[in-house]
Amino acid sequence: KSMDFSHEKEADKEYEAPIKAKRSKPEDAGGDELVYHPVKLSRSDLYRPPTAEELNQLKEAESLFHCSLLKMQMEELLKEVVLSERRKGQIDLFIHTVTKLLQTFSNSQEVEISDLSWLSGAVQVPFIMVPKTTKGKFHMAPPASVDLIGSYPLGTCTKPHVMVDLAVTIPADILHPKDALNQRYARKRALYLAGLAEHLISSSDIGTMHYSCLHGNRLRPVLLLRPPGKESSNFTVRVHACPPPGFFKPSRFHPQRNNIRTEWYTGLQTSQSESTEPPTPHYNSSILGDLLPRAHLQFLSAVSSQCPAFTDGVALLKVWLRQRELDQGTGCFNGFLASMLMAYLLTTHRISNTMTAYQLLRNSLNFLASTDLTVNGISLSKDSDSTPSLSEFHSAFQVVFVDPSGHLNMCADMTACTYKQLQHEASVSMQFWDNPTVDGFHSLLMTPKTMIRTSDHVFQLCELVKLQSSCKKLNLLSELMDYSGNYVHTALPYILSLLQQGLGQRIHLLTHSLPPDPEWSVESEAPKYKDQPPLSFGLLLRPELAVSVLERGPSADSPKAAEFRQLWGSRSELRRFQDGAITEAVLWDGEKICQKRLVPRQIITHLLLLHADIPESCVRYVGAIVPSTGEEEGLLVVQSFDDLSRKLWKLEGLPLSITSVQGAHPALRYTQVFPPLPLKLDYSFFDRDKISRSLMPKEGKPCPAYITPITVICHMEGSGKWPHDPLAIRHIRAAFHISLGELLISVINMHADPDGLLFRIQVAYHREPQVLRESVSLGGLQVVRDNEEAQALEMATIHKPLLTSTLHGIQQQHTCFGAVCRLAKRWLGAQLFSSDITEDTADLLVASLFLQPAPFTPPGSPQVGFLRFLHLLSSFDWRNSPLIVNLNNQLSVADYTEIKNDFMASRESLPVMFIATPKDKKISVWTKRAPSVQMLQRVVMVAAESLKVLEHQLMDSSQIQDVRVVFRPPLDVYDVLIHLNHKQVPLLNQAVDPPAVTFSRGILTDKSGASSGGALPVVDYNPVSLYLTELREAFGDLALFFCDPYGGTVITVLWKPKAFTPMPFKASARSVEVTGEVVNTLPNVEAILEDFKIIGNGLVKSVEVRSERWSI
Amino acid sequence: MAPSKKKHANNKACVIPGGFTVLSLQFSASSAAQHKLYVKEHKVRAEKSSHRPLDRTLFVLNVPPYCAEHVVKRLFSQFGDVQSVELRDHPGSSKHLGPKLSRFFRPADKQGFKVGYIVFESPSSIAAAKSHPLSEPLVVSTEEHPVTTGVQKWIQQYTDSFVQPDHLQKIVDTFMEVHDKRKEEEAERQKREAELQQEDEEGWVKVTRGNKGTKARPHSEAANQKTLQKELRKKKRKELMNFYTWQHRNTQKEHIAELRKKFEEDKQRIALLRAQRKFRPY
Repeated sequence: KSMDFSHEKEADKEYEAPIKAKRSKPEDAGGDELVYHPVKLSRSDLYRPPTAEELNQLKEAESLFHCSLLKMQMEELLKEVVLSERRKGQIDLFIHTVTKLLQTFSNSQEVEISDLSWLSGAVQVPFIMVPKTTKGKFHMAPPASVDLIGSYPLGTCTKPHVMVDLAVTIPADILHPKDALNQRYARKRALYLAGLAEHLISSSDIGTMHYSCLHGNRLRPVLLLRPPGKESSNFTVRVHACPPPGFFKPSRFHPQRNNIRTEWYTGLQTSQSESTEPPTPHYNSSILGDLLPRAHLQFLSAVSSQCPAFTDGVALLKVWLRQRELDQGTGCFNGFLASMLMAYLLTTHRISNTMTAYQLLRNSLNFLASTDLTVNGISLSKDSDSTPSLSEFHSAFQVVFVDPSGHLNMCADMTACTYKQLQHEASVSMQFWDNPTVDGFHSLLMTPKTMIRTSDHVFQLCELVKLQSSCKKLNLLSELMDYSGNYVHTALPYILSLLQQGLGQRIHLLTHSLPPDPEWSVESEAPKYKDQPPLSFGLLLRPELAVSVLERGPSADSPKAAEFRQLWGSRSELRRFQDGAITEAVLWDGEKICQKRLVPRQIITHLLLLHADIPESCVRYVGAIVPSTGEEEGLLVVQSFDDLSRKLWKLEGLPLSITSVQGAHPALRYTQVFPPLPLKLDYSFFDRDKISRSLMPKEGKPCPAYITPITVICHMEGSGKWPHDPLAIRHIRAAFHISLGELLISVINMHADPDGLLFRIQVAYHREPQVLRESVSLGGLQVVRDNEEAQALEMATIHKPLLTSTLHGIQQQHTCFGAVCRLAKRWLGAQLFSSDITEDTADLLVASLFLQPAPFTPPGSPQVGFLRFLHLLSSFDWRNSPLIVNLNNQLSVADYTEIKNDFMASRESLPVMFIATPKDKKISVWTKRAPSVQMLQRVVMVAAESLKVLEHQLMDSSQIQDVRVVFRPPLDVYDVLIHLNHKQVPLLNQAVDPPAVTFSRGILTDKSGASSGGALPVVDYNPVSLYLTELREAFGDLALFFCDPYGGTVITVLWKPKAFTPMPFKASARSVEVTGEVVNTLPNVEAILEDFKIIGNGLVKSVEVRSERWSI
Repeated sequence: MAPSKKKHANNKACVIPGGFTVLSLQFSASSAAQHKLYVKEHKVRAEKSSHRPLDRTLFVLNVPPYCAEHVVKRLFSQFGDVQSVELRDHPGSSKHLGPKLSRFFRPADKQGFKVGYIVFESPSSIAAAKSHPLSEPLVVSTEEHPVTTGVQKWIQQYTDSFVQPDHLQKIVDTFMEVHDKRKEEEAERQKREAELQQEDEEGWVKVTRGNKGTKARPHSEAANQKTLQKELRKKKRKELMNFYTWQHRNTQKEHIAELRKKFEEDKQRIALLRAQRKFRPY
């Protein structure tokens, strides 16, 4: 008891709430097996008189956050990301050593800049010297000063990738005031860094040394130092070389001034005077950036000292940015900008100094969401007279955020698209933050949003060297000069705006990956621009417009027509439309839905080739990983069903009328993996039964093609005439089936659906489950007791039709819902999980992705939906939380709380995978039977692995896109494999790798062949599933059986571990072992293996035994 | 395979503790592996059913799924004439509740390993069965009597699954006739009982012990619950909540206690998540 108490005290200190609690289990007991136990506070604890402090605390938690949980979560997160004292100690020590080392080198001879002979050759200069000629002298000298700058001294440095910035001031005598011109300063800076590197390379106090460049800007190389030994991955010191403060006059770097002469850059004589030279705003800002870091640090420190929560707020914002991949690379919104943004909000009094970190984050996101810095830039500068105006900044840069000095645009490298993405993310975050039904903390700060999982379509530009010719084609010479030859960065904004223009209404958002900062060893030369990893672009589609094959332009005589023609080139042609208008238009190819989904790809490749000289081979489009088919067929099934239901409604002559006709089959909600196809039959293939006029499978022939019966539930009206006895009801229902059949034949002369589809109509009586539950106890008391039979019936006649119609509704809202479901279910099937995660469960899981997409937006393509499905499976905390699928938006906030509380209270007795829906808040009917704990674990594991493989494959341009890799299950874990005879597997053509088929299944392939109608085809006859059922019934207590329902030709068997522990002799025995008087039983494996063959006679090809686990 | 069995592999019957005799069984003459059946005379104290006469019934364990009743009958005929065979999923007393149903309405049979009750014509057959040596296996499928499994069987099943509507209609009609008749009788009986409870001409009511018959109060669990709740609600309505100062103070105290409890719960949830490293953002 006393130990428990001391442990408590420690925890209490953090929350300053003097409450002691009795816990049923000490926290640090058992790693992963921690279980939530509802707390029980003793009466005296609960009803103690409260202190004022405690009251405040409780009140704050209640009003500021939805609950105290969110507040605590944020605090915990901060603890995870801020640097520990130990780490800080290590850093300080290392900085001290480095500073000392830096002070100790001697001057060298003064040489020409281009003369590199003074370097020993052990290190290279981190600079691409193009053009080669440079005037000026250079020599090495000890730095004028070495200071810490950036996030570390400010206290906003966070894990992971701890980066400590160290500014080394180049002594003034090395530089010349005119060095700002023609990259001279930049080269001297690079030389100086090389000098430092050469000096440090021999020191044993330094682990590894690399060059990198600040935000991908090659004019600003930096030296990365890592400590030696074990600590090497703990942090990195980034050495910047800076000019002495105030060495250059800031006004020289006005965005409209030129500091690189065309003559020098091109090497050609030009007659341009200084005033007509093109401005070099990006070059200017990169030098300014070197000039100001100390001033920035001072400014931020001043702000930070005013606002106690500043560092925490920035840390949270940095985590938020990092999860969205916005904090690194060229043109990123890095931690420095995050601090500056918060400082801006504080100095403009949009947020107050007393706010908490949570509020700072919230207000920053709110500001980002509502302010467009691409149009209305902001400035931290107080005096506006001597500095460039905002409009001047806007004319030079896409995004404008001016620093406190008023000269530097801190967002100089950012593209408008990146800012739009930031804005989009902020507004999405704000939307779900307030939604109490969403786990805000998790979506906001814990879920990584990688591009492949965020964007509906992704494409990559592979050979970046091609962008060089794009620059030429787009006529970007002066821009290239401004970017100092970085053609990737020069061309990027133009390509982005081109694509934006071309895709127009089809997309919500165009994003691109930020080229990562290159890092190379000090011994090697600076990497070329073309060696960068491919640029990735993400599209967030507007599903309803993205698939349109027609691009309708302005009418032929309008002045805009020329513009349109210019954009689309030869693809633009004059077309006459039904409304009589004659306009310019572009028509893209695409008949089927899956082809139409790729219209954006056609647009992109066309535009890139036409305007930027980028051939199609360089564009690696990752939009539709699977050539999904069958969407049209799915549509046909639904239409056919609608037709049938109309006919059923019209029927007259039934004793009771029909109250509802509902589909209860996945095909009727567009989620059937392979929608039923209309088939034409070869009658000679079958036996015929004369009486029932139906076809029978013939012995000795391959199994006939599988025909899916599409289940339709037909509810009959309630009436006093229905008997009140379960058996009698069933007989009456049978009679209804007979008369319904007769009516359908006589009235509308219909045997099978005219489209060649087959429906199975099932009559239901809505009170039947209730009647099954009722029984009369001995005392004559009528009691209602739930039982399995009633549940099964309710599932088939009530839950399934309802789910079908609800999911059908989701498909109407989100056009790719069905496609995602089908892909997900195909994966589950291929990985042999179909019997554990049933079709309905899978559909519900996918529905949750669409109904609660936070922090994403609803999936707009099958690919992204599938990736998120895998992510949901693998990352959801099934143990501790219910998955709530808010179908039709029927659940209120109170319902959510209720579901969660009920779930927590009786976790142990609930299914391991708990899915709550509005109609099913407490039981999780869909996952009651399966999966088991072990199977769920395996599903989670396989999903995580598949996701990893798939994402890697999709984003790595060197790999071939073949999704089937994740559809081939690993078979090595199974004990026995039962190989099936291909001829008896009716769905063989649906297999992941379908084998070549040389035999007929009784299907006529030519469409013209007249089918002589009338006879009922072989329906729902699948030897594989019949075999599986028999196996499970006979050996379900000993082993698990798995099979891919879509054309799997192997059944895998896994012995249950429990089956092989000797059991005392009981009635259900297999074989007996007698030891003395004790009789134990063990499974008779040899006989069982033989039974596998006997039961599946004709279907089983061979039984392969892969493990010897039973030989004890 | 249990090695101890090998010892008995001579021409003697193999008896294991518990009184079971082990018989071996193989599917066909060419089968390599054998199943073991465990047989014993049927001995249950409380068996009243005339279907399983104690002296003539053999209890069999571990009957494989492909042995239907007629197959078992044939297999055991070698020990004497078999009167009947009953195969069940679990051992237990036989039950014949409710009317006999046609095959369309019976629940589907499970195709697992079963237990069987074999009733012989004469008691001597039991001894014969129990002394059958282990080394002579029973053979399920022979040339004269082949047992179909696998594809052949499924095709047969499929063929059999077709129902003649008029045949089914007839079954339904007969069932409903019986049902209706029973219903009528029941109604009649209730009416009679109700009449009995009526006063006669002189104002006497005859009180009987038998079934209570119709009652004034709704007689079901749900109805009972409803009335109970109604009472509770009534009681609550009459109660005064914020009348006395102590009551008011109590509600406030409750509120704080509630907040505290929530706080404590959240704290514990956090501790749990922290222990699972759920706060590592990357």
